[in-house]
Amino acid sequence: MTGPAPHEASWSLRLYARLLELYPPEFLQRHRAEMLQNFADLEDATASKTKLWLLIGKDLTMSLTSQFFASQLGSYVIAVLLTWILIFIIGYFTHGSRPGYPALHAFGGVLFGMLCMYLATRLYGTLQSQYNAYLIGVLVAFVALFTIGYLRYRSLLDHPILQVIGGVLLGMLSMSIAMRLYGTQQNSPGA
Amino acid sequence: MSKSPLPLTPAVFHILLALYGKERHGYDIMQQVKADSGDAVKMGPGTLYGSLDRMIEAGLVAKSNTQDPRRIYYKLTALGQTTLRAETERLSRVALVARRHIGST
Repeated sequence: MTGPAPHEASWSLRLYARLLELYPPEFLQRHRAEMLQNFADLEDATASKTKLWLLIGKDLTMSLTSQFFASQLGSYVIAVLLTWILIFIIGYFTHGSRPGYPALHAFGGVLFGMLCMYLATRLYGTLQSQYNAYLIGVLVAFVALFTIGYLRYRSLLDHPILQVIGGVLLGMLSMSIAMRLYGTQQNSPGA
Repeated sequence: MSKSPLPLTPAVFHILLALYGKERHGYDIMQQVKADSGDAVKMGPGTLYGSLDRMIEAGLVAKSNTQDPRRIYYKLTALGQTTLRAETERLSRVALVARRHIGST
């Protein structure tokens, strides 16, 4: 049985190690070493890198999706998304679907903000100080953009970019609250 | 377990089958699943360890006292063996019914 070379890891192995950070920390604590070993074994046994990454891409997508939906944080995010979809549908039927409709922009922003926060948590969640620095930096940037946009356009509701940024802030705030509430309990891989 | 785990998902069935009669580590399980399914089920590390966690929690599989310090070996529990037999019987009955239907058309 071959294993990862201790001194020179391939770029594939390094990339895979980075992608593993998307899994919940407790799952990684149990399986990280073995998953890296298995990846190295697969890499040795597979002639084509394309085939290897197709398998790994499918595996990451399926297993991360399964874990995310099974976690408490996943449930929270789904609930928030459903609420936003409901708000959007109500808005669509009450105000029509004219271009530039504020709810659409804000909703797109929320989705983007939540996605950014989720990725940031998975990538930096294990390094608490780094994660906090990242979070504060991004929030400050968005607040600054929002303020500049407000001063420039004088109205929060008239300009689509302001609506998107407002939505992003709201999405990030939702995820931040979710992580404070559920972040430490969301690691059990789903049944 | 409080309720019957049957029917099993293909991944769980193949992992149980791979572990029948032999303790194996993760990569070995993946290779055995691939061989047993004739390349139809290709399992990556994320799917494998997610499934193993759930199977350990359900009492179907246990970690073994491994002789290899670099690897964790897994083995079937008594419940895992019973479940594998029950699922095999169930699939056989389904196959029999299917053959009967297909044969009669």
